[in-house]
Amino acid sequence: MSAPTRAQILNLYTATLRTARTFSSYNFRNYFVRRTKESFRKNSDESDPAKVLELYQDGLKELEVLRRAAVVNRLYEGPKLVVEKERLGRAAGLGGGGAGMEASIGGGGQPTGSQNVA
Amino acid sequence: MLGFKLDVPKREEITLRPIYLDVQATAPMDPRVLDAMLPYYTDQYGNPHSRTHAYGWEAEAAVEKARKHVADLIGAEDKDMIFTSGATESNNMIIKGVARFHKEKKNHIITTQTEHKCVLDSCRKLQEEGFEVTYLPVKQNGLVDLAELAQAIRPTTSLVSIMAVNNETGVIQPLKEIGELVKQHRGVYFHSDCAQAVGKIPIDVNEAKLDFVSISGHKIYGPKGVGAAYVRRRPRVRLEPILSGGGQERGLRSGTLPAPLIVGLGEACRLAQREMAADHSRVSALSQRLIDGITSRVTHIVRNGDPAGYPGCVNLSFSYVEGESLLMALKDVALSSGSACTSASLEPSYVLRALGAAEDMAHSSLRFGIGRFTTEAEIDFVIDRIVGVVTKLRDMSPLWEMVQEGIDLETIDWSQH
Repeated sequence: MSAPTRAQILNLYTATLRTARTFSSYNFRNYFVRRTKESFRKNSDESDPAKVLELYQDGLKELEVLRRAAVVNRLYEGPKLVVEKERLGRAAGLGGGGAGMEASIGGGGQPTGSQNVA
Repeated sequence: MLGFKLDVPKREEITLRPIYLDVQATAPMDPRVLDAMLPYYTDQYGNPHSRTHAYGWEAEAAVEKARKHVADLIGAEDKDMIFTSGATESNNMIIKGVARFHKEKKNHIITTQTEHKCVLDSCRKLQEEGFEVTYLPVKQNGLVDLAELAQAIRPTTSLVSIMAVNNETGVIQPLKEIGELVKQHRGVYFHSDCAQAVGKIPIDVNEAKLDFVSISGHKIYGPKGVGAAYVRRRPRVRLEPILSGGGQERGLRSGTLPAPLIVGLGEACRLAQREMAADHSRVSALSQRLIDGITSRVTHIVRNGDPAGYPGCVNLSFSYVEGESLLMALKDVALSSGSACTSASLEPSYVLRALGAAEDMAHSSLRFGIGRFTTEAEIDFVIDRIVGVVTKLRDMSPLWEMVQEGIDLETIDWSQH
């Protein structure tokens, strides 16, 4: 296989980025979006065709992994994090807020059962 | 009426999860790791020790590939790695194994006061069996004093066990210098509990002259319930196995290997090696953001441990605030006051006490664990919450009021009733 064209690389980039955005967990989604951007930018000035081909093939494999991982992640979607509150509030029309809302949403609290070892 | 009942689902109250800042206790498993494991939980269920059919062969091939990934991460050879159930088992196996194997000639072990519970408890158990143990004190920044270590080594010493990165303070011990020192004495082995270090800072068993290393899976975004032990083969080091049985893993750890977990550990190590530099710079930046954000808005904060330690573990003590009430008030942030194993008790952390922290400061400590998946937004949120809660608790505290008035609390003679 010869070195990928610019269009092929861009396709891979947009597909990876789009897949990264489909993770339901806030932390994973943010990480994979950021990492995709960073790693493509970092490798964008690579000129050795053999190296480009290697990176491209790794990228294709990684895309498949992320696609499956994102599906599994969505299957077991959990409650949202407190940092996502603003976005969540807007989506559900819960805007406004104030002290009362703060108290009612707090919920979760510290995990009670102490995790075993540190 | 309608002939059926309309079940209108009640609108559930939205419960939001707190932010996770406790990666020293356990880290979320990387989704890529789970993806690597799933085939071995579904279709490829063979026993890696089965030699007579393809199911066994494919599982064995996967285990050996994982072994290579784990070995590569610490600069070891594949065959040096033994899979265990976690760093606790690795530590137990190594410390007890080495001591018991050499008990005819040697009866002394050296460790430090700030080690993880499982190392200290293994040593205590050996003391009951008649071994002598030296628990080295640490300097105020948490580092081992090399001169004191040199003095502690005797002709009867069989093992020196010193952890790489402390789980409560993030202090990084100078493994290379310690290894150099230990190797000046023939027949003394060097073990390091690297559960918090592997995959986060570079560890090389040859550079640090390590004979034994303990590795944990779930601290490096791998699965829980699996770990590894590095046991040097050249020159050969020997230990007495704890588990007897089928003789798997060079006879040191009998029992069927959990192929899916090991594949996960291997993948986690492969990713850790690839992402280490990026993760480290990211974690450093977030850690700096957190420290700057809190210290610029609240005074009287002490950072526990060497500031040059691992940046992903920030241990702060807030004067005039009680640690437990701080944790109770911070319900939107999953934090702990120290290691998870001791956070259930109200005792102050023995690690901070060993660093010479006063009792009240050890009581008011919080450990912030920053990892691969932590975001800037989370850090900013945590800064806001911490600043708010600390300010509020201090406003209620009479001690804080006295400090504000310029009274030195040390000079007060509290009357006893």
